[in-house]
Amino acid sequence: MTTRAEFLERIREQVRMSPGRSPASSARRPQHPAAEAETIRRELVERWPETLEAFRREFEGVAGVFHRTASIDVVPAIVARIAHERQAREVVTWHSAALGADLAPALGACGLDVHPMPAAEPSGGAERERLRTLAARADLGLTGVDLAIAETGTLVLVSGAGRPRSTSLLPPCHIAVFDRTALVESLRQAGVFLEAWHRDGRPPAGGSAINFITGPSRTADIELTLTRGVHGPKEVHAIFVEQPIRG
Amino acid sequence: MSDAELTTPFRQRAGSAMKDEFLQEALTIATTKFIGLRREAFAGFPEGEALRDRARAIKEATLQHLDRHLETLIANVERLGGHVHFATTPAEARSIVVDIARRTGARMAVKAKSMATEEIHLNEALEAAGVTPVETDLGEYIIQLAHERPSHIIAPAIHKTKGQVAELFTRELKRPAEPDPEALTRIARAELREKFLQADLGITGANFAVADTGTVVLVTNEGNGRMVTSLPRVHVAVMGVEKVVPSFTDLMVFLAILAKSATGQKLSVYTSLVQGPRRAGELEGPEEFHLVLLDGGRIAQIGGPLREALSCLRCGACLNVCPVYRQIGGHAYGYTYPGPIGILLTAMLEGAPAVRDLAHASSLCGACVDACPVRIDIPRMLIELRREVDDEKLAPWTERVAFALLTKLLQNPRLYRFAAKAGRVLQRPFARDGRISRLPLPFGEWTRTRDLPPVASRTFQERWASDKDLRA
Repeated sequence: MTTRAEFLERIREQVRMSPGRSPASSARRPQHPAAEAETIRRELVERWPETLEAFRREFEGVAGVFHRTASIDVVPAIVARIAHERQAREVVTWHSAALGADLAPALGACGLDVHPMPAAEPSGGAERERLRTLAARADLGLTGVDLAIAETGTLVLVSGAGRPRSTSLLPPCHIAVFDRTALVESLRQAGVFLEAWHRDGRPPAGGSAINFITGPSRTADIELTLTRGVHGPKEVHAIFVEQPIRG
Repeated sequence: MSDAELTTPFRQRAGSAMKDEFLQEALTIATTKFIGLRREAFAGFPEGEALRDRARAIKEATLQHLDRHLETLIANVERLGGHVHFATTPAEARSIVVDIARRTGARMAVKAKSMATEEIHLNEALEAAGVTPVETDLGEYIIQLAHERPSHIIAPAIHKTKGQVAELFTRELKRPAEPDPEALTRIARAELREKFLQADLGITGANFAVADTGTVVLVTNEGNGRMVTSLPRVHVAVMGVEKVVPSFTDLMVFLAILAKSATGQKLSVYTSLVQGPRRAGELEGPEEFHLVLLDGGRIAQIGGPLREALSCLRCGACLNVCPVYRQIGGHAYGYTYPGPIGILLTAMLEGAPAVRDLAHASSLCGACVDACPVRIDIPRMLIELRREVDDEKLAPWTERVAFALLTKLLQNPRLYRFAAKAGRVLQRPFARDGRISRLPLPFGEWTRTRDLPPVASRTFQERWASDKDLRA
């Protein structure tokens, strides 16, 4: 078996004997990403309506369904309507702390079976299995959004306590709720936030997966015929809430 | 591809591909569609050209300090609780993965599409160890059921019709299937959903690995990459050493051009950034995370003639535009990586002698350089490979003698003029309508698939000598 030392030494040797051949430079990283991320946010306080419009265009371009509402209190009614149109009842949601609001009572009042995910790690394997089964059986998954990238119509979700990866993955319909604080214009700006979360800024959550979601799951592997919902959700909805969710 | 198939000469493999009418149609439709989608994507993205240059410069800069970036990656993966393994050969990589499977008592492994695990023939090794590997990318699932190999880097089953897929599902899954892509996809979803939830082991490649955060990046459209890295209790990622990039800022440059080059999407549906095993408070994610760093011939090229090929993102754009690939498809190449870049990667992984024939399976037209998101100069390296193959006397002796004679002829003006005159006389019985379509043996092999222009009735040299207007 190759040891780490041998492996790296062979690479070192090759690196030493190979001169640079073409222009070489890695991307210029932000010096203080948290400060730069803050600047991006501040500038968007002015420009968010244009950014939101760009997001909507791109998101719809990748077959996402866009909704807009005044406040988080209206969200349960929208979710219920989506559910009723699909004759669906079972909803798994992120924990209220991760969503920024406790929507379970209102969703329940609309006749849905709501299963909020716990804020803390399940105590045992059996409980973990039960929660996963709930997500696998659910018709709808309701999540928050950590970044919404206008350039590509992308939702970025960070995993962590109370915000399982399966909520946006296993149910056939994913509904994501966000406000203007999640909006960024470009992949480049999203990169600044990623740098910030890993260096001098605070990440939205402490999980080990960050997922960029750009529309519903799709494949074209059979005769290049575009088909949605192959493994992940067949539908993705994004509900934009005008009043910032966390007040 | 089995060894038996590889013993068929390349020429013959290519020949049968060109006679396969369905394959010809499928190839034309697929490659033409991909070319159009890619062109549209870049047309609506003016900064794309500059980003391609930046992406290339990042790859180059990373290679110049690959040792350092890998050390950073390793340190960060371990800091996050992951394990890093080192594989010089495919056999070593296989045994590392098989050992992990054994130790963790895994019985089924779900796999996201990964060229690296194709390259090391991992599935056979897992099966031999009693672990059932299940490919979960729809295209890969289809060809696994059919016991075939991928024919395109990003669309592995483009050589199959929906009718063939329906027959395959009916036979292998014992489920009556209609030849309708939507219905077939639904069947695959149901079959594979069960497997995702049951599997103990998730196996992936890596599109990128970000050194300074210990992140493995997976790009998929179907969501199988997310399933495989979220649901099983162990995740193993197998990755060539060249896939590392320094930072998230660098990563964004690549993400902005990768999907556009591959499928014309602005971004693939899912880009998953995976950082070690699940953390405190998380419901899902693996308990164990392993990263297998694979050499397999790459390291020797850091300072070698194929260095540029280490920048490849595996987008498949060069396949679609290659006039040779468009004619013969992926299987005829005979190895894991098809197309123009595939020839170079095969030389890298298997050694130059393996591409004795393949090195010539290119018209050197340069369409691949234009399509490549990081502008790899594939023709330059193919020419170098041809030279190497020649030096090693890998070409047949007839070819070497013919080219040696031609070299003499071209160096001696008198001999050249005599040859032109002689050719004019000798070609008479064969030239028809301004072309030579059939020559007798031993030249017949040349004209079997192409025409030869005849020697002109007056050569340029003769006109130059006598025709004043030409010089005026």
